[in-house]
Amino acid sequence: MSLLRFDQVAIHLGGREILSPTSFEVAQGEFVCIIGPSGCGKTTLLRAAAGFLTPSAGAVVRHGKPITSPSREVAFVFQDYGRALLPWRTVEGNISLALEAAGIAPADRPQRIAKVLETVGLGAHAQKFPVQLSGGMQQRVQIARCLAQEPELMMMDEPFGALDAMTRESLQDELSRLVRDSGLTVLFVTHDLEEAIYLGDRVIALRTNPTPANPSLAAMINVPIARPRDQLATKEHPEFLKLRRELYQFLGHH
Amino acid sequence: MQSRQVNPLLLALRPAVFPAVLLGALEWYTRTVGAKSDALAPPTAAARAFGNALLDGSLWPATFFTLGSAALGLLIGAVLGILFGVVLGLSARAARMSFLSVEVLRPVPSVALIPLVMLVFGFGLRMEVTVVAFATFWPMLVLSQAAAKQVEPRLLEVALALGLSPIAKLTKIVIPAMVPRLFVALRLGVAVALVVAVTVEIAANPHGMGYAMMIAQQSMDPALMLAWLFWISIVGFAINAGASWLQTRVARSMGEQI
Repeated sequence: MSLLRFDQVAIHLGGREILSPTSFEVAQGEFVCIIGPSGCGKTTLLRAAAGFLTPSAGAVVRHGKPITSPSREVAFVFQDYGRALLPWRTVEGNISLALEAAGIAPADRPQRIAKVLETVGLGAHAQKFPVQLSGGMQQRVQIARCLAQEPELMMMDEPFGALDAMTRESLQDELSRLVRDSGLTVLFVTHDLEEAIYLGDRVIALRTNPTPANPSLAAMINVPIARPRDQLATKEHPEFLKLRRELYQFLGHH
Repeated sequence: MQSRQVNPLLLALRPAVFPAVLLGALEWYTRTVGAKSDALAPPTAAARAFGNALLDGSLWPATFFTLGSAALGLLIGAVLGILFGVVLGLSARAARMSFLSVEVLRPVPSVALIPLVMLVFGFGLRMEVTVVAFATFWPMLVLSQAAAKQVEPRLLEVALALGLSPIAKLTKIVIPAMVPRLFVALRLGVAVALVVAVTVEIAANPHGMGYAMMIAQQSMDPALMLAWLFWISIVGFAINAGASWLQTRVARSMGEQI
């Protein structure tokens, strides 16, 4: 059975239809990327799946139950890491927040904090404040905080969009690795189609200004490229190039 | 070019030059032209009067009374002001409902409450604390309301996503995020509290530094009056410096790079 199911989900904001009725399923352990031009409702769709907003019609169903509010089982990584971290808490303190929310005993926290910091490669920076870290490191802190939540689903809203190309590539590889190791299910929003193909098991493309003839869900393609993937070899893989061309033409024409 | 060497001691004394000149001028004036004045006294006489007040034990009780009632009043005004400010800042509905009451009560001059409070409590600590609490409540309320409104919305979403309880959201996200702006409110509150406490003592309450200054004035002792005036300004300066030091310390412990 699927972990997450979008069941005719439609979203209207301010009298405008942002997302026309959309249905798809996400299987346990799957990495699904959502791409589309700005204003196509990809972030809105992600927020509905996290329970931040209620769809105007239809439902997002997790384990057979409609999502109506945020849950600790569903972590959310925001694009603006600078604003999503508590500036008055150290790296350690920011991760501790997730444990405090979950009611983990103080005695058990240090060990769990150390574990997630090790996973994202920030073991040496536990005592630093967010402003003392680079953008890439701050985003790692946010990811670590989400991991500390021990979710089954991770929603990521253009998490690497504000980072430079080199940092982005290394974070992509680390994310792939940790998702594979942990068995997390990920819904990843991006406007970078290479990133979508490189990371995803499946890519869902959305279009702006949906009509009944041209619904929001424009394309859904599987990415049959083996893992672990590699920044050079994978991006030269014939399948990668074929998908890239397909999606590029789609995004260019819609 | 050779840079001029300035003695560090002289450098540190530079800000004291202007006050020293002023004091010298006052000393000269009160000993010559204004020797018969009932309002002014030579600074040296004021210094002697200050020394006497220090020795006869009248200085500290009056100082502690004024500071104690200012601090207690500020504490009450700040706690209530922050509490209501957070509620009004986070709930647009509560802000709409209380708007009229706040705008009608806020402009009431705090010292205009003295006759009423005197009827209720009589002279003493309670009446002074009440007036100070009223005076400090409003700026604390308005500034905390603005501070609560300006808490980064993303952090409230983080609280939601992590599943923080409402109390934890308040204590771990909202209040810490308000701290820098609360300090601005608190610095203002400290100044207001001292002004109002001394005013209440000058106008009505027979205790504290304000009253001591009034007594000196009424007994035609300008030297002692000026000594108290000088002492009140020193106390105000010290309290402000203390608040500033606390602000820096708290900001550092909260990760601000200063």
